[in-house]
Amino acid sequence: MAYVALSEAEKTYILHGVEDDFRCDGRSRRDYRPMELETGLVSNASGSARLRLANTDILVGVKTEIDVPNPLTPEFGKLEFFVDCSANATPEFEGRGGSDLAQELVLSLQNAYESPLAFDYRTLCLIPGQQCWKLYIDILILECGGNLHDAVSLAAKAALFNTKLPRVTATLLDAGITDLIISDNPYDCTRIGIETVPLLVTVCKIGDYCLVDPSAEEEVCSTVSVVVSVSMRNGEPFLSGTHLTGGGAMHRDTMRNCLQLGLSIGEHLDKLLTKMLKLEQERVGPKRPKTVGFLK
Amino acid sequence: MASNFELLSEQGLRLDGRRPHELRHIKCKLGVFEQPDGSAYMEQGNTKVLAAVYGPHQAKGKKTESNDVIINCQYSQATFSTAERKNRPRGDRKSLEFKMYLQQALSAAIKSELYPRSQIDIYVEVLQADGANYAVALNAATLALIDAGICLNEFIVACTASLSKSNIPLTDISHFEEVSGGPKLTVAALPTAEKIAFLEMSERFHIDHLETVIETAMAGCREIRDILEAAVKEHLLHMGSAADWARVC
Amino acid sequence: MSTNAAIELALDRVDWRDLAAHADHLPRVYTPGEILMPEAGFMRGHGTFVEDENIKASVAGVIQKVNKLISVRPLKSRYVGEIGDVVVARVSEVQQKRWRVDTNSRLDSILLLSSVNLPGGELRRRSAEDEQMMRRYLDEGDLISAEVQNIFEEGTLSLYTRSLKYGKLSQGILVKVFPALVKRRKMHFHNLPCGASVILGNNGYIWISPTKGQEQEGGEGGFALNLNEHIPRVDREVIARLRNSILALAKCKLMIYDTSIQYAYEESLKYEAHELLQQNVIYDIGEQTQARLRDADD
Repeated sequence: MAYVALSEAEKTYILHGVEDDFRCDGRSRRDYRPMELETGLVSNASGSARLRLANTDILVGVKTEIDVPNPLTPEFGKLEFFVDCSANATPEFEGRGGSDLAQELVLSLQNAYESPLAFDYRTLCLIPGQQCWKLYIDILILECGGNLHDAVSLAAKAALFNTKLPRVTATLLDAGITDLIISDNPYDCTRIGIETVPLLVTVCKIGDYCLVDPSAEEEVCSTVSVVVSVSMRNGEPFLSGTHLTGGGAMHRDTMRNCLQLGLSIGEHLDKLLTKMLKLEQERVGPKRPKTVGFLK
Repeated sequence: MASNFELLSEQGLRLDGRRPHELRHIKCKLGVFEQPDGSAYMEQGNTKVLAAVYGPHQAKGKKTESNDVIINCQYSQATFSTAERKNRPRGDRKSLEFKMYLQQALSAAIKSELYPRSQIDIYVEVLQADGANYAVALNAATLALIDAGICLNEFIVACTASLSKSNIPLTDISHFEEVSGGPKLTVAALPTAEKIAFLEMSERFHIDHLETVIETAMAGCREIRDILEAAVKEHLLHMGSAADWARVC
Repeated sequence: MSTNAAIELALDRVDWRDLAAHADHLPRVYTPGEILMPEAGFMRGHGTFVEDENIKASVAGVIQKVNKLISVRPLKSRYVGEIGDVVVARVSEVQQKRWRVDTNSRLDSILLLSSVNLPGGELRRRSAEDEQMMRRYLDEGDLISAEVQNIFEEGTLSLYTRSLKYGKLSQGILVKVFPALVKRRKMHFHNLPCGASVILGNNGYIWISPTKGQEQEGGEGGFALNLNEHIPRVDREVIARLRNSILALAKCKLMIYDTSIQYAYEESLKYEAHELLQQNVIYDIGEQTQARLRDADD
């Protein structure tokens, strides 16, 4: 993460605040900072979303391509994640400076989306064994204010919700070759079901306590964090991946508490995101909306 | 001339309905982000660019001994910015070329002598590329520099121009017009001083027409400058009027 | 257990420019390259340059005339130091006989070893031991309050902390705002009636800390820290509220000084501390504070 310098006294203040369940900005350990969401900003992409979480700003674009499925999984489509840390966020990301962070985020996401129970790859299949959709989920980090995993996963989920796959019809030609006809009509499309699409929740350990949505200063004070990926199924939260970051170690009991916390927060966030996405869709209507974007 | 497509219809309209000397619709905003010292967002037609400025700050490393400011740029294009997905946002030849061009043009505008041993970082991110990418990037960078309170000689503005098959000059080229094979000229200028800081040309121009096309691009620059100036004034009036920041002493 | 999380839509984004609608008069704004006036009889200050016998603006801002000195003030810029300014700075490097500190200016500032009070409180000869022990006094990442003593040729600021009111800062929160929003006043250290202290650095760094008791003042030369002290919840609430109020003022581009902070704090009391992070609450506080300040002026 972008390095923020802090004095010992400031760290002590933050540590004690976490113990008292009253953080520097008045939040409790379970609170998130205000977020803002918008979808459909990028016209060159099949789906896009922008999520602001306090100072963290993420823009995601989803592009589609027809590809050949993996021979081991002929009925599954493909997903590919790409994270770009723009130098706009901090000069340290200039050139290849952000590549380590980008790699970490890509691995987290790949891990979370790997299970077919988390993401139904069969919906991306066109002709089993021959043709499938490949979705490129491109994530651009525009500003860094702590808690990147959560913001990135929320934005990715919103972008998938916004993605419109053109309707494809297949015709059988001679010699057993199937020809795919992709509809040109922008309104003739299928959507991707996102009920089970996972969200990442970073649970950060500071001192003896766990909290969510760490700010950049709080991240510096923590030795280790657990990134929990939560996937909902039939209203129940399931764990679809987890890993530790930060280079410290954690006791087993603490780990269990963190996972529990992550699951419960993940469930809450999922409901909230789905609700807001549907609300936005209702308010904006089916036609291509005039987006607010960066202009207001 | 390689132009195999007439960019101008019989009614004198271009592919997107514009007249030859018409610029695309420009929208912009200053101060889009909180962390950089200055930031700006600029839309010219469907080309959308974000610029961020960090600095002036202490120059790092061996560069600290120079007497002039160090201007460091980066040009990056998001992977979803083009119709065909772009594999690498930066580091390819085009991005490195544009990075140099940005540094060259901005050096003409920034008052270097005021910032000895300091460094100014300017980062540009193209979110949607629909023609004149470098020009819009430079315009966004100017706004971001102004937002950061960095001393400039004046606005530095860029504009593109081309020539239709019937030798009528066209201002502000869109992506489709670019790839249709017509000649293309990009000019970065200090409009009030009427100085050109950067010029790039592709395809072939007859020397007789070059003068006209340059003048067309310069006229485009002047118009863009007026639009940007109005936007800066409006931004400051609205943002600053809230308090007595603006009260005249 | 519940969690407070909210996602707003961009459609509902607050338009900050509406706050300007209440302004009585709009100032004249100049942009880079614009002519201010002919050169004759005037001196040019910050943000201006001379060309073709005219004084032109080099930044976008409002004009400031002090006697015959013309300058243009931008809304946002790095801190430009002046002798006598009070700043809050962070140590970025420990060097031979001095510390390099970050003051949000275009060059890092310097704090010379000879400009600090060493434990013991009086003037002592700077021995060779002192240099090795420099890290014990101030290490990388530490925050200090200081005054600008001198400006070197290329613009580097030289700070000093020899008065007892300056020195290393203990527990508290640092808030960063644009330098232009901090009014230049006589007093920069305030013990606010709400129960906390602030240091309004001219460089835009604002330090909020619990008010020290009387018996802790002075004596150690400003380097002692009490890291074991656990600041009570009551003080924390005041500090968090102040932090959010100051950030709200900065977001609304209102000037930051003791009165405006006090008003903003009072307006914020009707909300919970964490609610103050939401943009519509920030807008409300900004609007109310603006109105009260205007009434106070009239």
